[in-house]
Amino acid sequence: MSADIQNDGDSKPTCAEATVSLPATGIATVEGKEPPPEKEADTRRRSWIVLSFWLIAVFIGLPIWWNTTTIYRANLPLGQMTDWADGKACEPVFPLRIALDVGALPEQEAQNLLRLTQHALDDLNDFSGHHLRLQLAQAPTEATAPVRDDSNVALTIRLAPGDAAHTASSSLHPHLPILDVQYPPNSLPTANSPSSGLATYIATQLGATFAEEQNIISYLLESSSITSEHRPKGISQEVVDTVSKRMTRSLKYSQTYHLTFSLFTNGPVPSSWDIEAAIDQYMKPVLDMLRPIHNFTIDTQVQLYASPGVQSLVLGKEDLSSFVNAAEWPLSPSIGGAPTVNFIVYTGNHTIGVPSEASPGETSQSWMIPQWGSVYLLAPPAEATHVSSETLKQPILTFTSHLLTLLGTPQSGSLPMRLSTLARIRSADLLLRASSSLGSLARLTLALPSISIPSNVADGVVKTIHHLELACASLGGAKSLEHARIAEAEAERAFFEKSMVGQLYFPDEHKVAVYLPLLGPIGVPLVMGLLNEIKAWKNRRSQKLKAA
Amino acid sequence: MKLPLALLLTPLLNIVAGLHTSNWAVLVGTSRFWFNYRHLANVLSMYRTVKRLGIPDSQIILMLPDDMACNPRNAFPGTVYSNSDRAVDLYGDNIEVDYRGYEVTVENFIRLLTDQMPRSKRLLTDDRSNIFVYMTGHGGNEFLKFQDAEEIGAPDLADAFEQMWEKKRYHEILFMIDTCQANTMYSKLYSPNIIATGSSELDQSSYSHHADNDVGVAVIDRYTYYNLEFLESEVRDTSSKKTIGDLFDSYSYEKIHSHAGVRYDLFKGGADAARSRLLTDFFGNVQNVEIDGTRNTTMIDDELISLSKTIARLSELAHEEEMAAKMVAPPSQKVGRHRRSQSR
Repeated sequence: MSADIQNDGDSKPTCAEATVSLPATGIATVEGKEPPPEKEADTRRRSWIVLSFWLIAVFIGLPIWWNTTTIYRANLPLGQMTDWADGKACEPVFPLRIALDVGALPEQEAQNLLRLTQHALDDLNDFSGHHLRLQLAQAPTEATAPVRDDSNVALTIRLAPGDAAHTASSSLHPHLPILDVQYPPNSLPTANSPSSGLATYIATQLGATFAEEQNIISYLLESSSITSEHRPKGISQEVVDTVSKRMTRSLKYSQTYHLTFSLFTNGPVPSSWDIEAAIDQYMKPVLDMLRPIHNFTIDTQVQLYASPGVQSLVLGKEDLSSFVNAAEWPLSPSIGGAPTVNFIVYTGNHTIGVPSEASPGETSQSWMIPQWGSVYLLAPPAEATHVSSETLKQPILTFTSHLLTLLGTPQSGSLPMRLSTLARIRSADLLLRASSSLGSLARLTLALPSISIPSNVADGVVKTIHHLELACASLGGAKSLEHARIAEAEAERAFFEKSMVGQLYFPDEHKVAVYLPLLGPIGVPLVMGLLNEIKAWKNRRSQKLKAA
Repeated sequence: MKLPLALLLTPLLNIVAGLHTSNWAVLVGTSRFWFNYRHLANVLSMYRTVKRLGIPDSQIILMLPDDMACNPRNAFPGTVYSNSDRAVDLYGDNIEVDYRGYEVTVENFIRLLTDQMPRSKRLLTDDRSNIFVYMTGHGGNEFLKFQDAEEIGAPDLADAFEQMWEKKRYHEILFMIDTCQANTMYSKLYSPNIIATGSSELDQSSYSHHADNDVGVAVIDRYTYYNLEFLESEVRDTSSKKTIGDLFDSYSYEKIHSHAGVRYDLFKGGADAARSRLLTDFFGNVQNVEIDGTRNTTMIDDELISLSKTIARLSELAHEEEMAAKMVAPPSQKVGRHRRSQSR
């Protein structure tokens, strides 16, 4: 029995040799102990099998691999986006309509005055991006009922005849965007006169009223990448410096700001304050007034035994910047939501040792930290444990004026003018910012070919462009701020899309390392099978040729 | 011809130089485990330095993948030292780690830079912010390993900076990296206004400075050690006038045992401008406070308050009128709107 087994064992290698040699020699070398020749049907079936594997790999495997590994890049209107960023899509022109309320003047004279004043204005103003256009007020209005029907009118000039002896004088109305002009009756232009003292006077007054706004807007245009023929002719270095300083300290525009009022004390007292009443009384009116432009949320806190970031009791200029103890004082770093403006009242024995420029010899009690908030040093109150709202009056009023500065409110002119200017500046700012975001996104899309662009980014871009168009069409009007705000928010959202993270760089070694273990075992039999089939087919053909 | 040009340029340069209004620091360690004690000590030393020079915690992003102070192998529990004299406890009583443990990932790091991180401590910088970025860990040719699990490639880092630049998220960046073959990490950067420096060239290791026999491991890397030595001895407070150039000139092969690299070409104004930047422009904190005048402003403010009351009331009235007008004639408005949309 054992011999038999051994015999079987011996015979196997030969068998194996034969099978091994089989593919090499092909079908032609079939001899004695070799297996019987393959049937035609078997050969054909094998061809089909190899073919079907290939078909599956090419028509199912490849597309699946391609689909699952390519990066989805939504189509962005790149040309349009770049146009916006370069300022080609929108001419940043602010046509400001100014109504001329001539009172009881006859139509003819009024028209004449209007024409002359417009001439004088055009001569005065070479910055076409910010254009003042005069028109006659539709209906003569009474002094108590102001023009409210047309919100696009930035300013109404109310003319009233005054003393003949005096020269013309003007004053801004404190509550309404109205410039009251008193003129001596004899200064009215005659029908044919080429110029008029009154017209020039009005034009100069208007120029002065809008000078700050023009400076800020031309600064914004200048610092943006927009190229335009409406670009101002160049503003003086001095103006650039002041405006840039102002823009630097003001906060970025946001629809909502979060105001945090904190009372920090260096000891156990005072431990309570009438902050609610004080805010209601001294700050709320201003917040209400700002409502069309910003919303505000408020919170307050009291922290006892809070030590400032500096040791000395007399604070030098250097100390002021490190006075706020960022490490220990619980001041919100604006995680999500609205940006925070911090207002700190600190009670302690600290004094500011820097004589202020306005009145040397005396020292101030408060300072403002650009883009952050402000600090007020309050001497410990008499009734030790409680800070009354009376005591808080000065701090809160200081904070209010700081808030206006931090929001970027212009400093000259009457309050209503400052507000409407703020709205226009902000819409220009937002418009430019949204445009530049679009440009950044477009450049980034081209620069990073491996970053994915989800479809909601494309949606955001389309929405941004839509609202930008609306804002641009209504620039200087009431709706433009709203549209510019939406455009800017959409542009930001599109740019900061969460899934657009450029973390897709893989070195080639990595790719080989990933694909080789997968594709090697599959690829080798596939390729070998195909090669064998081709060889067999060639053999068959040459045999057929021989036979023929 | 040259003189007027120079005169023209001077004010411009001044503006550029004086532009930044806030300082931020991003300090990243990327390795875990006890034997990488020195990397965490590197990061904590840098943290201590920038804090000493006035950058508040709210503007420092500290990423620490492991907690050496609480490691069971630590012979001095609750402390981390970067020197065998153990004079300064880096863990101290006031440190704020923003990203810890497994939160320190490549993705989080890149998201932090590009601000695509909705719910965490954010890098709230703008075009007036100077950022100091410090990284340390184990790296190689054009990569830095994060936590044994993944790595950040030099091209990804460069793209992240580019994304920041596009969105105007920095004014100037000082990028400093201490790892093996560190200089390869900044070789791919292409965004402007970045000064970069690294501890070692391609195929060079970055070495540790010394070990503490009681702690049992190396406590700090050479490159970081000599950077800190310079900062501690030369930049005592924010009034220091030492420049980036002074710091970079202090590097030498004898001290660091590898060739520290610097890169100026991305910086506007090239090497000269970059070298003349003050160290406190990146390691310190600027805050241009504005002190109020003492002039009693109450009168004006009172007026302001009453004015605002009137204006708020007027605008409310206007709003009500508008609403009333809408209530009276809603159908005609709707028709008008409809027609307009059709005509489009």
